[in-house]
Amino acid sequence: MRIQRKIFVVITLLIALMLIIQGLASINAGFGERFAGQMQQLGPVVSACYFVIAAGIIWFAWSWFRTLVGIENLTELVKNGSSPSINYKDNCLADLNFAINNFLQNNRQEINEANELYRDLKLDVQLSERKKLNTEAIIYSIRDAVVVVDSNDRVSMANDAAGKLFSFDCKNIELRPITELIDVNRKEFIDFLVSARKNKAKATKRELDFVGDDAVRTFDCIVSCIHDKKGQVCGAVAVLHDVTREKEVSQMKNDFVSHVSHELKTPLASILAYSEMLNDGEADDEQTKQEFYSVIQTQAKRLNRLIEDILNISRIESGLVKVEKQAVSLTITIQEQLQMIRGYAEEKNIKVVSPEPIVFDQVHVDKDMISQVVVNLLSNAVKYTRSGGKITIATQVNDADQTVRVTITDTGVGIPADEVDHVFDKFYRVGANKKQAKGTGLGLNLVKQIVEKVHGGKVFVQSEKDVGSTFSFELPLATREMVELV
Amino acid sequence: MTIKRVLVVDDEIHIVHVVAIKLRNNGYEVLTAENGEQAYEIASTEKPDIIVTDCQMPVMNGLELVEKLRSDEELKNVPVIMLTARSFDIDEDIKQHLNISECLSKPFSPKELLRNIEDVLFSTATNI
Repeated sequence: MRIQRKIFVVITLLIALMLIIQGLASINAGFGERFAGQMQQLGPVVSACYFVIAAGIIWFAWSWFRTLVGIENLTELVKNGSSPSINYKDNCLADLNFAINNFLQNNRQEINEANELYRDLKLDVQLSERKKLNTEAIIYSIRDAVVVVDSNDRVSMANDAAGKLFSFDCKNIELRPITELIDVNRKEFIDFLVSARKNKAKATKRELDFVGDDAVRTFDCIVSCIHDKKGQVCGAVAVLHDVTREKEVSQMKNDFVSHVSHELKTPLASILAYSEMLNDGEADDEQTKQEFYSVIQTQAKRLNRLIEDILNISRIESGLVKVEKQAVSLTITIQEQLQMIRGYAEEKNIKVVSPEPIVFDQVHVDKDMISQVVVNLLSNAVKYTRSGGKITIATQVNDADQTVRVTITDTGVGIPADEVDHVFDKFYRVGANKKQAKGTGLGLNLVKQIVEKVHGGKVFVQSEKDVGSTFSFELPLATREMVELV
Repeated sequence: MTIKRVLVVDDEIHIVHVVAIKLRNNGYEVLTAENGEQAYEIASTEKPDIIVTDCQMPVMNGLELVEKLRSDEELKNVPVIMLTARSFDIDEDIKQHLNISECLSKPFSPKELLRNIEDVLFSTATNI
């Protein structure tokens, strides 16, 4: 603009200069040579005309120059956002200045409001972005499978758990229809999600079983519709929580309570029935009375043993058991426990072969608990071995694994092949051997819990019906440092 | 009046013993078995007037025994009283389906059991 303005000034001045020179030339050279005679007297007038035209052009140019400068100033002020307040002599510029001022004043409030609205909207956008990121972080971090669909049942979001469950890449969803993304085998889920969205359900729940390659898994599926500001359903979110383990635990708890109540009621039934008989005078003679008292006492002891075993197992399972580990020689522990059952074995005429002493058979264990393991296995061996039988106890150190194994072999009644795997189960008693001896079905489970859960060892069983059984357990050897610490 | 025969079935020897004493003291002839299979064999030969059986037993449990009795032409009408430590195992439908006369929960009263046996035998005799 400034260059154009300068060119304009220069051209105007040149034209004016040419006219002045022409006027002066007319005066000096005699305007009348060309129009000799008639026009000679008009020479000064023509020169005057040249001067007037030159003066007019200069004035006109000056006016335009000022106007241009004024427009430039106005433009600059408007561009900078300030109100022009120059007092123009030029009417045209004064009108323009007035109009612009009016316009700016009228619109300044709207502009300010628009600016505020823009700032608010920007803030809203930032907040929405943050909320979206938060929501995504929550969805991606939870273990439950989450699938979000829009109003056309296209998947708009899904987390890793959903990807794994339905075998798709959760990072590559691209609003694909749910029927394309999720296998047809999961039709029950798709139908449930779609129908819940169509029914505008707030939170509807259903248990779904998904058949996998190796097992059936159960999921608690909750579908909630997503509503827009107008209250219209614009999608739905499904959350699938794997309850397979919970159901198994619940079933196990029910089974446990059922078993416990049955096992507790059995001795209690005898105690109450015999005491009622005594009370009603049904025992005719002293011998019968003594027999009844004896049954009550035996059953009360059985009840107490049962409660103790249940409590011990419960403490171990819940991790509340107090374990005091120390370096213990397994051979010595076995010898000590053998003293307790030797009399019972002799009564039944059962030969007991003790283990050979070993140079180093120290294990880092809770002595009372391991003594309980040994006594449970030894008393079982005596209980289920017929008169004249034999029980052999052996200890063996495995240098490669740094373990020591205790093996108790009997020539007892044995366990049927189809029941061997269950002997360590809670409350399991080998049906065919119930007659042989009384038991709670908890002794071997306690052995397994103490060896495996408390001491990180392993229990083993081998058995042949009518030939005998071999129960063994393996514990890690104590290190020399552990022994020296004692 | 003929002496009634009661077959008592339970794998708990003390329970069998106490029930047997109670019944014998009250004029009944008592037969005993320790599981369903043994009980069915005894019932087939001895034809008891009533069977008192435990539910949870090895080899053949109480419900399996009753099912087998109901499918046997000679034993299908023998009244059965069930003793169980898990009363919820036998609901009303099972009881009706297998025509079980009574279900008593363990722990039980020998007096109450005797009363039930008398009632069932009386109603059976009346129906005949």
